[in-house]
Amino acid sequence: MTAVLDATEVPAARTGHDTVPLPRLLAAELRWIFRRPRTLAVLGLLALIPVVIGIGLTLVDENAASGGGPDDGGGALLASAVNNAFVLPIAAIVMSLALLLPLASAMAGADAIAGETSHGTLRGWLIAPVGRGRLLAVKAFGVATVSVVSVLAMCLTGVVTGLIINGTDSLFTLSGTTLSFGGALARILLVAGWVVLQLWAVGAVALAISSWTEHPMLVVASVLAGDIVFTILGFLTSLDWLHPFLLTQNWSVAPAEVLQDPMGTQMLGEGALRAACYIVIGLSLAYARLSTRDG
Amino acid sequence: MTTTAVESGADISSEVSAPAVPLAARTRGLRKVYGSTVAVDHVDLDIPQGAVVGMLGPNGSGKTTTIRMLLGLVRPTEGEVELLGRPMPDAAAHALPDVGALVEGPGFHPFLSGRDNLLRFAAAEPRLTSAGIPLAVDSALERVGLTGAARRRYKGYSLGMKQRLGLASALLVPRKMVVLDEPTNGLDPAGTREIRRIVAELHAEGVTVLVSSHLLAEVEATCTHVAVLQAGNVVAQGELAELLESGNAALLVRTPDAEQAVEVLRENRIGARLTPDGVRADLTATEAPRVLQVLVGAGVAVHEATRARTGLEDLFARLTESSVDGSSEGTE
Repeated sequence: MTAVLDATEVPAARTGHDTVPLPRLLAAELRWIFRRPRTLAVLGLLALIPVVIGIGLTLVDENAASGGGPDDGGGALLASAVNNAFVLPIAAIVMSLALLLPLASAMAGADAIAGETSHGTLRGWLIAPVGRGRLLAVKAFGVATVSVVSVLAMCLTGVVTGLIINGTDSLFTLSGTTLSFGGALARILLVAGWVVLQLWAVGAVALAISSWTEHPMLVVASVLAGDIVFTILGFLTSLDWLHPFLLTQNWSVAPAEVLQDPMGTQMLGEGALRAACYIVIGLSLAYARLSTRDG
Repeated sequence: MTTTAVESGADISSEVSAPAVPLAARTRGLRKVYGSTVAVDHVDLDIPQGAVVGMLGPNGSGKTTTIRMLLGLVRPTEGEVELLGRPMPDAAAHALPDVGALVEGPGFHPFLSGRDNLLRFAAAEPRLTSAGIPLAVDSALERVGLTGAARRRYKGYSLGMKQRLGLASALLVPRKMVVLDEPTNGLDPAGTREIRRIVAELHAEGVTVLVSSHLLAEVEATCTHVAVLQAGNVVAQGELAELLESGNAALLVRTPDAEQAVEVLRENRIGARLTPDGVRADLTATEAPRVLQVLVGAGVAVHEATRARTGLEDLFARLTESSVDGSSEGTE
């Protein structure tokens, strides 16, 4: 009976395969993510941040900025970014890591599963069929890509803004040495990679929550609440024992290690390990739920 | 539910499941419990290959739950499901590529056009080659009459257009089986006719179709087989014609001499009663020619005689309404 159908206007059937090539699914997912007006708006706003910071810093009185900056990492970084094309993108990314970048990952994670469930479209994938494990892989890939693109967009506008405002001879480390353009770029990309890893951890947690609910708002709210609570817990010295388990621990100070010469790696390494653990746990929870939930 | 309903249901199903028609899908002892609510219980469903099976039942009778288990979306609490000869949900990856489905209303993204939504789902269809996707999408859109609105955002679609798009996604690939859950929801009469036409086309192509509906006329017009669900149980299933026959068969005779006709028939031990323009003769113990012979022999003027066809509505009412009070529980 299929032969009858094949003979009509329908294109040649792809028989003998019960699964779709993975790249095709990934491409479909990316098309969906990057055609979404919301995604583009978030990316655009994130890319604007380094520009705004760069312009803002040129207007600030140099002495006041470097003298009386607040004590936390972000503020100190910001003060060092004045007249420094190397520090500007890093400062912008690190400051956004406090809230805005996790927000982008959380939104992507929320749309990926909870959003699809609420629109009734997850069922469409399951009936196609896309296996549940593959589905999670595709979704994780999408969230990971959003994180990468967010950070790279900030890097790009940050570097360009820094160079336009301060010129290529303004690539100083905090130790006072000057970096070559290539060396500076490598260090900026190192920070970017590290921040992406942290965002993947956030995204993995978002996917885990996302697979338990059909309300995308709940996912975003939970992730941001978690971010804030973790940050507060990190300030409490009486909870020292808990700090190694907090994803947000040292988020604002670890990237400053690359600003030193020679470069430190201790906090960066620790943070990367922590993020990797969160990714494994988050994706495992998401898989456990997704593979058993009713479609 | 009354015992008569159960018995008649059991009789009918044992009668028609006997012939060795290959089955496109079947369930045995299917049971699904959500918390303390039994949504579906003891469902033994047979869906013969090439049939158009109408699944009927009031809201909350377990139609959608059964369909979701059939498609492997939900794991049954007990019992087994076979779809195209494969156990579900474990072999879903091998059965579902040949099954198209529209379950619980159409699900699409509002910010994408109808066509882009379909392109997205088509990418996940194992039976489509990457190069064949655009053509498959366009012909599915044409088939449901959405070509004109294909590039408009889904957000602006009317309820009927959304339903058509859902149908199009079920028809992206030539299927062996198509499952449509309430396909005429939100459609105007013209749209409903079109669904009927599409179901008829699928039937002609040899595709097995499972349609759930609470619109009886719909099922009666398009289906070859019927399964009636009530409070999570199958109370009757089988060929539509047989089910309708199994109701109270009778012959409607239009005659001006109605009273005389009733008298004559009763003398000949044929049950009969008056109707507005004649008599209604009971055919459970006799046959139509015999009734006419008796009437004509007695000199009764017979203007017209028609077989009283039990409407599906009557059948449905008989099978389900007797336990309306108990049907409030159970989810769909």
